[in-house]
Amino acid sequence: MMTQIRTPWFWLTVLSLALLGLFVLYPLANILTASVIGDGPNGWSRLMDNPKYLQAIWNTLILATAVTGIATLIGVPLAYVTARHSFPGKGLIALLPLITLVIPEVIAAQTWLMMLGNNGLITRALREIGLRLPSFYGWFGLITSMSFIYYTYVYIGVVSAIARFDVQLEEAAQSLGTAPGISRIKVMLPVIMPAVLASALLVFTMTVGNFAISMILSHRLPLLSVVTYQAAVAEGAADITMQSTLASVSVLIVMVVLFLNRWIVRRGKYEIVQGRGAKPQPLRGIKGAGVALLAGLVVLISLLPLISIILGAFTASRGPVMQWGNWTLANLERVFVTAPQPLINSLTYAGIATLISIGFSAVVSYLVVKKPNVLTPFVDYVSAIPLALSGTVLGVGLLASFHGGWLPLSGTAAIIVLAYVIRRMPFGMRNGQATLHNIPNSLEEASISLGVPPVASFFKAVLPVMLPAIISAGILTWTTTVAELSASILVYSGGRETLPIQVFRLIDSGLMAYASAYGLVLVAVILIPIIVAARVFRIDVFAVK
Amino acid sequence: MGIRIDDLTVTYGKENVISGLSLDIPGGCFFTLLGPSGCGKTTLLRTIAGFVPAAGGSLRFNGTDVTRLPPHKRAIGMVFQDYALFPDKTVNQNVAYGLHARGERGADVARKIAEALERVGLGHLGNRHPAALSGGQRQRVALARALVIKPAVLLMDEPLSNLDAKLRIQIRETITELQREANITTVFVTHDQEEALSMSDLIGVMNRGAIEQLGTPQQIYATPRTGYVADFVGSANRLPARLRGAASGLVEADFGRGPIMATDARDGAQTDEGLVILRPESLHLSAAPQEGLQNLAATVRSRQYLGSKTSYRLDLGKGLEVVAELHGPSHDGFLPGAAVNLGINAAEARVIAA
Repeated sequence: MMTQIRTPWFWLTVLSLALLGLFVLYPLANILTASVIGDGPNGWSRLMDNPKYLQAIWNTLILATAVTGIATLIGVPLAYVTARHSFPGKGLIALLPLITLVIPEVIAAQTWLMMLGNNGLITRALREIGLRLPSFYGWFGLITSMSFIYYTYVYIGVVSAIARFDVQLEEAAQSLGTAPGISRIKVMLPVIMPAVLASALLVFTMTVGNFAISMILSHRLPLLSVVTYQAAVAEGAADITMQSTLASVSVLIVMVVLFLNRWIVRRGKYEIVQGRGAKPQPLRGIKGAGVALLAGLVVLISLLPLISIILGAFTASRGPVMQWGNWTLANLERVFVTAPQPLINSLTYAGIATLISIGFSAVVSYLVVKKPNVLTPFVDYVSAIPLALSGTVLGVGLLASFHGGWLPLSGTAAIIVLAYVIRRMPFGMRNGQATLHNIPNSLEEASISLGVPPVASFFKAVLPVMLPAIISAGILTWTTTVAELSASILVYSGGRETLPIQVFRLIDSGLMAYASAYGLVLVAVILIPIIVAARVFRIDVFAVK
Repeated sequence: MGIRIDDLTVTYGKENVISGLSLDIPGGCFFTLLGPSGCGKTTLLRTIAGFVPAAGGSLRFNGTDVTRLPPHKRAIGMVFQDYALFPDKTVNQNVAYGLHARGERGADVARKIAEALERVGLGHLGNRHPAALSGGQRQRVALARALVIKPAVLLMDEPLSNLDAKLRIQIRETITELQREANITTVFVTHDQEEALSMSDLIGVMNRGAIEQLGTPQQIYATPRTGYVADFVGSANRLPARLRGAASGLVEADFGRGPIMATDARDGAQTDEGLVILRPESLHLSAAPQEGLQNLAATVRSRQYLGSKTSYRLDLGKGLEVVAELHGPSHDGFLPGAAVNLGINAAEARVIAA
């Protein structure tokens, strides 16, 4: 203990913990306490008195359950056939993670509307041949669009588990006299179960916290994130009781889910077995064609947003009416010339946030992995908390904590950057920790033994080795930060619109052509760094995961 | 420049890993810490380096107290088990690293690097990155990097354990040559007795955080003072025996087959019981009793043919078993089940305290 205090690392840990305490714990504490203290009736009795709020909680749970079920049913079989078989068009499936990352949810929701909304392309086409689809607003649209976005998380999580699964286990089961099909189910299922479970629960929490799609598609159906947002927008920071209460509910739901996850994994004594992966077996003939067709269809549906946004960006419109087939550059002219402020804001805020987030997470993960002391476990826990907070919850917390008071940040650009950093920093942390675990301590000790002091050794010997990982973590942070909507929309002020906020507002006003143009630019802003990294620096951003 | 350790204590949490260890390593000596994993040898080395703080006692390099000195100021050169080469830097940059840290720049540095790499036989690979080198080449770069800064003390932590057998023997020679040439005090950690015996001036056999025996390779192998040392360095038959009548360096020992005469290595202690240590290669197997040896009847239980020698497992009756090795011509001449004569030379059988 005494020897720990003497090192510069210890004081760096104290500083990190203080920052995390101020910007993560303090807002969270504000949310949880604001629901019970303050003037007037407390939030929980107001919650019980209003059927709209109870309905919203109930709807959210049903929606999350349905989306989780469907996403798992799509994701797991898809992961299995791609991990264990090869078939025509398998390369397309590799695009999946890319799609989920580059297409912001607000744009996904928008494009689903452009296809299947009341005035959508597909809806109109079907209407002409006499088919009437149910309204895309409400359950149908919510479940369809979320399932087709979130199944990729199940796919990504499970495909690596199956790839890592030791086929020797399966062979052992067969050698002991079990038939191949049965042995696969008996042996593989328990081993990949934790991955399936973890990704399913991730989908569940993401659905609960989802803002963009819920907001755009829920229409009159009350949902938790929507009513929280509405309470926050209606009351501002003046009355934080109700918004805090609703935010507390989502925090509680996520905590219960995380607890369930731990409990199930622990009870089952699951162990991730790593070993020789199976060689993919080719599927030929009818079977191969069938699998390829199904997989292709899934990918095509995922790609729909990208296609329709390109079409929409170049399509002329009059007010909310799209003039399909009538091409124009006017929409893009608006993005770059007439009203470029959202683009400039996005680039500035996300750029600053990425730099801060990467710097902070590099230092903190170094402390946690390489310089553990009595405080580092707390730094580790606290920095992971934002993973469990939805953007809406975080936005409410920031409003509650930094509106007026001794640190009046609301109304400034700083609070947007802050929201970005807090939301995305945990990803950088996990990335940094994984990288550091692979860097042996001896590297730093070698540097010290050659006469370089400890802190300088970090910069001269360890940091250069971390650099490729830091660059790719930076790009990942950038892509998710630029697309951030749910926290920033609560804390932004007039003139500080970002691209996702602008898209959201334009959709809200029904101006789909302009929304497509801003959306296309947003996708480009996300994609360009990824392509540059791959081509110029030969860094595969997605290999880090 | 020698290393002097006085009453050193090292703790992990509340546990004493090393308690009250004292050791004197003369200047220019190649000193090896030998022991199984977990015996504390690496901890001791890292304490000398300064990466593990000493909880008590003192550590001196050539009379100067360095106990509280941080590692980067101790003027050590260290070679790591995994080489710890900087992967982003070329071989030249790796070797230059320590020189730059000492503020050296320019042509002088380039000359020193070239010289150091030449000495380990890698003069032509300066511009490569570590990933493009073989294991043996990496180890040589690590050695050059540690030696180029002319450290006061060279510390090596199992530097050969990641290499294959042939390469290990080659690099052993490189290391000892360079060490003698530079006449640099060296502490070498290993669990490999052959490495320890072949390279060292002095060996400390470690057990449970203490040095169990300190001596030259010859002393350690020929005159082990404890059963642990006898068993860890080389292999040994250890037979508990009743002792009687010690005189002129010999003692009568009975491990169940009647008394034999053996060399008394009990350090003057007079006890009734002890251990008879018999090295397998010092036992003599023959068809008939041999003159000048103490002969015991035995039966071959099993044998392992090892090419240059054959190892026999012998049944002496009364539940006693010993292993004997034969090297000479037709060393594989006895078959399992054969009755043989086991000859023991009193000078080669050693009795130690139990």
